[in-house]
Amino acid sequence: MSRRPTVVLQIVTGDPRPIVRQITDGVKRLIAAGELLPGDILPSVRGLAQQLSINPNTVAKAYTELTAEGWLHARAGLGLFVAEQRQRLSDAERARRLGEAVDRFVSDVIGLDYPQQTVLDHVATELARYAARKTA
Amino acid sequence: MNDYAIDTEALCLSYGNKLALDHLTLRLPRGAVHTFVGANGAGKSSLFRVLLGFEQASAGSARVLGHDATRLTPALRERIGYVNEEHALPGWMRVRELKRMHERQYARWNEARYHEVIRHFNVMPDQRVCELSRGEQAGLNLALALSQCPELLILDEPTLGLDVVAKRVFLDTMLETTLFDNDGATIVFCSHQMDEIERVADNLVILEHGRLRYMNGPADFCERIRLWVAAFPFKTPDVWQLPGVLQAQTIEGHTHLVVFDQDDSFGARLKLLGAQSVQTIPLGLERAVNAFLTCGHAGTSRRAA
Repeated sequence: MSRRPTVVLQIVTGDPRPIVRQITDGVKRLIAAGELLPGDILPSVRGLAQQLSINPNTVAKAYTELTAEGWLHARAGLGLFVAEQRQRLSDAERARRLGEAVDRFVSDVIGLDYPQQTVLDHVATELARYAARKTA
Repeated sequence: MNDYAIDTEALCLSYGNKLALDHLTLRLPRGAVHTFVGANGAGKSSLFRVLLGFEQASAGSARVLGHDATRLTPALRERIGYVNEEHALPGWMRVRELKRMHERQYARWNEARYHEVIRHFNVMPDQRVCELSRGEQAGLNLALALSQCPELLILDEPTLGLDVVAKRVFLDTMLETTLFDNDGATIVFCSHQMDEIERVADNLVILEHGRLRYMNGPADFCERIRLWVAAFPFKTPDVWQLPGVLQAQTIEGHTHLVVFDQDDSFGARLKLLGAQSVQTIPLGLERAVNAFLTCGHAGTSRRAA
């Protein structure tokens, strides 16, 4: 019997990230944080759309993207499940995305004028939370 | 039968000398939520009036559910639901009578759905329509329109003046019943509230001066609009000569530019013009639509922006 955990996602309108992106990012985060485990059932398109008060087509689109990227897999007639997580990207692509994310992050925090160590400590704490859940 | 819920070809409508619709060609596929945005007087309501046969086009053609809008039969009208911001319902009627009238009028009337929708609003069958609050009238109007099971539902600023709770109920019920229970129905939704648009839109249609300015998904729209901020230490150049500029504003020595359809080479262009630092960030739908419409809005000249 698969778990049907509550999927707690927040949608913000007025954000530069479109709602589809907010859903895909949110689900990825839940998986990375271990709150969603491989084999867990996701809410139905209709259910999540109701929960978030949005167009179900938008949820369907987000689910399709997540499935195509290997985060979720569909079982005919049963619904969508969290897939067994493995490394989905090539080394070059991983390096590229990491570089991009770091770039973005640095430009966000550079103006805040914190000592470098403070910033690094914050990042380390945040990452440790995910690492701990993964091994738990 | 064609695949479009709404299909217009070079549609024109003039009031006196003013063109409310200016050669508007628009094709809206069935089975999606099409949201309309535009400044006041952009032609949204005029378009709906033509589509519903209330107004005769000056030129061009309009087809609704595959049929000529000038020759809508009662049977066809039944398949089109219409809710506008005035919620013009007969005030002297009791809710029960009004419902019975609609029930008799529409062959596909869905009684269960009526009760499902109306229970969200505090409307009693014995009340007269004029005794209902604005939100309750909106709820009643929506319940009537949804229970009619329309293939095409046109909503012209339906949530205007509703409180936050009523608004949420209105939108949820609209999405729930039309997209799931009424397989393949098409919604045309017109609003000035970007948060609503973001929640419900499959497709974003932007009208301006009776013309179609943009049509695609709202996320694609945001992707094509970016804010660039540049600091020009010496003389600020004429930024309007740059391609794609929708909005320009200088704030304390920094020039803020909202730009359409430009890639990273736009930054290089700014540097060529003498910009010292150049930054770019994406914008949310509200800002993006605002910039897009500011360009041609009455009373805002490009230079003054």
